[in-house]
Amino acid sequence: MALISVIAATVLLAMGVGVLAVSWRRPRQSKVHLALGGWFLIVAGFIAFGHALGAEVGITYGALALSCVAYAIVACGVELRNSRARAVREAALEPEERATNWRRGIAKSLLAIVLAGIASIGVGVAIAVAMPLAVYDRIMLGGILVPVLWGGGMAWTLSDAKLLRATIVLVAVSLVSYAIAFLPKVVAS
Amino acid sequence: MNDASVRQPKKRAFLPPDFVKAMLAGHSALGLAFAALIYIVCLSGTLTVFLYEFQRWEQPDLPIIATRLTDEAVTAAVEGGYRQAIADKSDHDIFIVAPGRITPRFGVSYHDHDSGADGKWVADADGKLVARIKAPWTDFLTALHINLHLPRTWGIFLVGLTGVTLLSSLISGLLAHPRIFKDAFALRWGGSKRLQDADLHNRLGVWGLPFHIAVSLTGALLGLSTLIVGVLALAAYDGDSEKAFSMLLGPRPTEEETAAPLPDVVAMMRHVRADKPDAELVSIFMQHAAKTGQVVTLGMRTPGHLAMSEAYYFKGDGTPLGNGGLEGGSFGQQILGAIQPLHFGWFGGMTVKVVYGVLGLALTIVTYTGVTIWLARRRDKGRPAPRWERIWAAVAWGQPFALAAAALGSLLVSRDVSLAVYLAAVAISLLSAFAVSSAAAISRLFRLAGSVVLLAIIGIHAYVWLPRATDPMAWYVDAFLLIAAVTGLLSARARPSRL
Repeated sequence: MALISVIAATVLLAMGVGVLAVSWRRPRQSKVHLALGGWFLIVAGFIAFGHALGAEVGITYGALALSCVAYAIVACGVELRNSRARAVREAALEPEERATNWRRGIAKSLLAIVLAGIASIGVGVAIAVAMPLAVYDRIMLGGILVPVLWGGGMAWTLSDAKLLRATIVLVAVSLVSYAIAFLPKVVAS
Repeated sequence: MNDASVRQPKKRAFLPPDFVKAMLAGHSALGLAFAALIYIVCLSGTLTVFLYEFQRWEQPDLPIIATRLTDEAVTAAVEGGYRQAIADKSDHDIFIVAPGRITPRFGVSYHDHDSGADGKWVADADGKLVARIKAPWTDFLTALHINLHLPRTWGIFLVGLTGVTLLSSLISGLLAHPRIFKDAFALRWGGSKRLQDADLHNRLGVWGLPFHIAVSLTGALLGLSTLIVGVLALAAYDGDSEKAFSMLLGPRPTEEETAAPLPDVVAMMRHVRADKPDAELVSIFMQHAAKTGQVVTLGMRTPGHLAMSEAYYFKGDGTPLGNGGLEGGSFGQQILGAIQPLHFGWFGGMTVKVVYGVLGLALTIVTYTGVTIWLARRRDKGRPAPRWERIWAAVAWGQPFALAAAALGSLLVSRDVSLAVYLAAVAISLLSAFAVSSAAAISRLFRLAGSVVLLAIIGIHAYVWLPRATDPMAWYVDAFLLIAAVTGLLSARARPSRL
């Protein structure tokens, strides 16, 4: 029974992504209803997965199934091109051209890897220590936030041309978060 | 995500073009700086999903068990494992894995923290230890993914940092991709190499995003856990990391080393099943076995959860110490239980493992094409970097060749030579970047070489194991390797591309 429900849920997801693909190929005027219908079917597919396997496992299976059916539908719509044809180049946005040197490169690396890391660990530990939640929950929440904030900090510092701004923000975040994390210990001693 | 999919919008842009350009610059810089590391971790991680299958392939004459274990078999494995641990002078901690959805083998292992001595065995359906596990290539592959064969603490941290950079690349890639929905189904194949790779990079990246975020986040968390808990311990546990870890991982054994009877694990299982009759045994972890201070962690799972099992803690005399809440506790406890199965795809049997394999390969291709797009862009702008093109071809196509060569080495030589062969193969591939004239030639060379090595592995493995293999996984993995080899040969024959 569960297998039939999982197959039905996968079919709903496939139909949803398929309808999105059809809407993507239509002219602008007629695509809104199709796009809404596609997203509705995808949501219905996730609900069906949750109903069949329970929310925890079902949503995870749904996310995996969504990726697989989307890959299959993208592969089915592949546009084969002449090997001698060249792409239209003027249409693409290019990465920002920046004057750089090795000192700036090292400074950016230190900001993105070291300072963003120190700041994110500080925020994570501050949450693990001071958040008004059960001990497991605050430790796990703080722990999960560390890689997310570190990754976000990396993305930001590497894209921001103003090194001083990133430095000031990261140092300030570090100071505040470590103060929150270590203040109770300092006060107690 | 970058390049061809982010065309100049005609109307008001969802994200300002300057912001997108800046994000693209950051995305490129980070991707290029960590490309090789991310690629190695992704490729080895994709294979590590199947580590239990590779373990069975390396030693396919050991028993596999399809039925539920009897209480007598569990007791026999506990007692037999302890006797063998004493014989090997490593009777400190004993770990037993029951056959189940992750692997059908009944595994018994033991480890002594002080001496570092350990042993890994497989038991039969009666719980009798029948053979030591010898899977040198699988051990090599697992260590490559977990710590890159570096000193353990530093290696795990570096892999965790690689997970952070991957997560960061996903964030910046998403923000650098304002036409995420508009280009959601565009895949143009042939013609411009740059456009083709950009479409592949963006489509695989966007539609695989939930999986890519899940594995990079859980991988980063696993890798950085020692560092995070270390700082947490400084802030809240007087610098005692052990104490901080025990908050998460449950009761630890005391240092009372007086001899005590082995725990009655079957009685503990009955205690759990009194509340949860459908709970299946997954694992038994006895810390400080047969000592007064021993603690037993019984892993038992019920359906409908991502966690590999719920952790039930007992004193050696059978006194319950509570459970970890991994299946039904607070959200933090359930997340803790889901991290490892979510990272390795060990929550749903072979179907989920295969899906993880496909999506892991997609992430590896996303990493590969990220660099080839940058190289093609330079070439299109009249600033080609032929040396970097050759180096990247050597890094990317040298890895499958080196992993295959390591497997061949461990098949041919009885002692563990996987790491040495792998490093030699990596060195050869990198040297080729300076000896071979073009990236396309390097790419074809290592596709061809990797395929030939895979065919040699299949031939030797079949010759060695055909008369005595009892585990069908031997032939399933050989069939998979054959498909990989034929694909490699066909792609090496195909029209040469630039990389």
